[in-house]
Amino acid sequence: MGTGIYKRKKPLFFFLLPAFAFLAVYLYYPFVMNIVNSFQDIPRLGVPASGMNTPWYSNYVQMFTDPVVGTAMKNTLIMIGVTLIGQVGIALILALMVDNVKYGKKIFRTVYFFPIVISATALGLLFNLIFLYDKGMINQMLEGLGQQTLIDWKSEGRALLTMMLPVMWQYVGFYFVILMTGLNNISDDLYEAARIDGAGKWQSVKYISLPLLHNVLCTCSVLAVTGALKVFDLPWTMFPKGMPMKSTFLTGTYMYYQTMEARNVDYGSTLAVLIVVLGMVLSGVVNRIFKEKDY
Amino acid sequence: MKKNKFHISTCLVYLFLIFWAMTTIYPIIWVVQNSFKAKDKILANSFSLPLGELFTLSNYKKAFNNLNIFSAYKNSLFISLSVCALVVLIAGLAAFGMARYRFRLRKVLYSLIIAGMMFPIYATIIPVQQMESSWKIANTSNWFLTMLSVILPQVAGNLCFAIVVLTGFIKGLPIELEEAAYLEGCNTRQIYTKVVMPLAKPSFATVAIFSFLWSYNDLYTQMFFLRRPEMRAITRLLNELTSQEGTNYGLMAAAVTLIVVPLLIVYIFLQKYIIKGMTAGAIKS
Amino acid sequence: MKRAMALALTGSMVLSAASAGCVLAEGAGSVELNVTTTFAGEDGNAQNFKNAVDAWCEKTGNTVSDTSATSDESFKTRVVTDFETGSEPDVLFFFNGADANSFIEAGKVISLDDIRAEYPDYASNMNDDLIVDSLVDGKKYAVPVNGYWEAMFVNTEILEAAGVEKPGADTTMEDFIADCQKIKDAGYTPIACALGNIPHYWWEYSIFNHTSPATHLQVPASVDDEQGQAWVAGMEDIKTLYDDGFFPENTLSGTDDETFAMFTEGKAAFLIDGSWKVGGIASACQSDTEDPSTLDTAKLDKFDVTYVPGNGDRKATDLIGGLSMGYYITQKAWEDPDKRAAAVDFVSYMTSDELVPVFAQHTASALKAAPEVDASQFNSLQVKAMDMMSGVTSLTGAVQDLFQGDCRVSTFDGMPEIVSGKVSAADAVKEGLDAYNK
Repeated sequence: MGTGIYKRKKPLFFFLLPAFAFLAVYLYYPFVMNIVNSFQDIPRLGVPASGMNTPWYSNYVQMFTDPVVGTAMKNTLIMIGVTLIGQVGIALILALMVDNVKYGKKIFRTVYFFPIVISATALGLLFNLIFLYDKGMINQMLEGLGQQTLIDWKSEGRALLTMMLPVMWQYVGFYFVILMTGLNNISDDLYEAARIDGAGKWQSVKYISLPLLHNVLCTCSVLAVTGALKVFDLPWTMFPKGMPMKSTFLTGTYMYYQTMEARNVDYGSTLAVLIVVLGMVLSGVVNRIFKEKDY
Repeated sequence: MKKNKFHISTCLVYLFLIFWAMTTIYPIIWVVQNSFKAKDKILANSFSLPLGELFTLSNYKKAFNNLNIFSAYKNSLFISLSVCALVVLIAGLAAFGMARYRFRLRKVLYSLIIAGMMFPIYATIIPVQQMESSWKIANTSNWFLTMLSVILPQVAGNLCFAIVVLTGFIKGLPIELEEAAYLEGCNTRQIYTKVVMPLAKPSFATVAIFSFLWSYNDLYTQMFFLRRPEMRAITRLLNELTSQEGTNYGLMAAAVTLIVVPLLIVYIFLQKYIIKGMTAGAIKS
Repeated sequence: MKRAMALALTGSMVLSAASAGCVLAEGAGSVELNVTTTFAGEDGNAQNFKNAVDAWCEKTGNTVSDTSATSDESFKTRVVTDFETGSEPDVLFFFNGADANSFIEAGKVISLDDIRAEYPDYASNMNDDLIVDSLVDGKKYAVPVNGYWEAMFVNTEILEAAGVEKPGADTTMEDFIADCQKIKDAGYTPIACALGNIPHYWWEYSIFNHTSPATHLQVPASVDDEQGQAWVAGMEDIKTLYDDGFFPENTLSGTDDETFAMFTEGKAAFLIDGSWKVGGIASACQSDTEDPSTLDTAKLDKFDVTYVPGNGDRKATDLIGGLSMGYYITQKAWEDPDKRAAAVDFVSYMTSDELVPVFAQHTASALKAAPEVDASQFNSLQVKAMDMMSGVTSLTGAVQDLFQGDCRVSTFDGMPEIVSGKVSAADAVKEGLDAYNK
């Protein structure tokens, strides 16, 4: 911040007002309603509360004693790990590789984008058929390899893996596009200069690409953490209601389940509060680790 | 010796890239090929090509006969393009403010944006609907108002993500150019439009694409606000078609194809420009 | 930048214009009725409904704005919120059980008595005893069209291979268990059901087998009373069948679609399901959904439908079923002098002696004088369904329709925990009843 361009704060108001006005009306106000709801007794979605809960914090007591919340939190933490390492990690490797190859750059860039175009419901269906017990693609292939019995990929022991692989796969493309954009923002001159100085490819990556991607990587990590907390469509299509035995619930799917399926609207609101609080804490941690850099 | 090693690593890189490309292309081929099969043939032959006996157009016949697909495409396009434009416009301004200014509430506002990314739509949709009903824009017979009743919540839903991503990108831009413009007498608004926006073009393109896609594929808001048959958007329409017949995989595959393929065609057709947009802004010279 | 500002301003102007309220002009002579039903999407009657609406509009010169949608949870939520926000339709075809409580409590729909005070002939072709009373005030609101039943579909090919007779009117649960064992020994899955996904039909009938048509519709006051014990016994019956290995291998992790496919593909013998599955099974035997001529009749002939084996006070021929939906006229339409007559006329037309049989087919209807149906236009399973229906001794509503919301969680979604012994049946029933009585 060498100069005084941004010292005068008056224009700031103009920049921020439209966005925050919008958010206040369409997100914050409804969410405040949601917090209020979490203390009330609501018979079902769409009808007004019939009064406060007794005691008013009873939903929060229930949340801390609900074993499924524990399962959901555990699964979500695993999911965050998978997202950070699997999605952002693979996306970074792919982006750096595509940035450095000579041929087919364009094709790779185009096709890696595909999974994002297909709606999650369709992907869920696709993966259901791949993992189908009797007999999806994998069980058909295993039979060809001499496996005698069918493997239930959705059984309790395997369900988590079966759920996380497709989610991971789907979002790699998303982070790939963001990282690719970040790489494109880096001036070619820098690489040129490095090459003249005799730097190899790996060295350009290490000393130019990665440091300049710092902010974008930080953004990706925040997106990954918050995304994992509310991921919903694909797990829900493949494992509705946390099947089997409520072992695959994530915080996002459990909230949906309580609100829409179990019609426990006020408890669902409580879980929504939990999701947001968790997300705030975790993204704060991410920001601290990455320490935002300014130029 | 050195040259040889280089070759092997290049081969490995290509192998990995091609492997990943296969995993992203095949699902689309799979969906399209199954959309040409009768539903009772899919489970047993989902991985073979729809040739001879297997081939049928009945899924498409059904989709086109029962539904007004073209008006649904029109509605979808209108909604998603509006969402995309509004998000880019509003989020761009906010991101610039968040990235460049230092002010007391900055941390608080940033946390609010992060929080906004996590509000589950199921927690906010009912108050939003009540609000829009009281403004008389939800559930009317007026086409424009109905579209608006979907566009507004979708804009809000995509805004936080867009601000976070754009802030990240704008922060990464070298401030020197802005300083130079400032010394030449530009005010901050001009700096934003003349310096920052062109430089960040790739990021804007990325955000625009994501908000378009998410709006296009967002079934839930559409379910709530698009009720009259003539106002349904494509995702909503095809969900209506497939929701009752849970086992009709052929029809579902056709529905997915009808949703996805136009997007892909547009994407591939426009990708020259999109990728140009993504790269052209880069800081050359 | 100026352009951007202008755009933002236009946006906010549009908003304020909208919030100021837009009055929509009504068409001059004719009336536009807003109608919401569940006859949409792939509902078997969607086309029938469309045709009927067109015919009515033609006849009366009125227009109908049809906002029907497939019936699911978000549809129900939508209808309830619409009543809350005052954007309800004029005529609504909807459930008559607990789902309707909120808007009946709020007085947003008109009862049959009130309508008949002014239009004495309204729904006079219906047998009033068959029109369901509201749970709120015991009055009748919804004029029914087509009913439903739940019964047991069988794959006769498997029964033959295992040497088992088709269960009939006299089959008891004990006979059924012996049959299942034989079927299992022959290498087939006896019962197609995804207990982790849709345990609803088994839940209902297992409880029914410990109650009777007279007592079935009471939700127990406590787990310890007679009715509560009946529920516990019902849950334990399902656990016994599970422990005997009569359900599919993946019954806790698979979906209903998967187990239904097992049934139609000749891997599982029995399926308890609703009357709508008559169409589902026929279309599973049809390679082109659009073209009934592609129906594989030989395959369809292998399927049959029969009574769920009985126990105790419930005869096998006592079925779950009834008329769970009907046409409501909303207060909004009733108080609108232009719309009142049109709404009454619309419902009368849709529930006339001519149209009801078209919608009802092999399910029940509430008509006083049901016209003879022409059997030649039906497929073999529909004929078998009609045969079965002719032997029915009673139709009782589903108690789960009264038992809705979070009280269901412990015994429906919790079914896997019950059958695998993680939670005792008594505890699960108790948890549900506690939530119900809260």
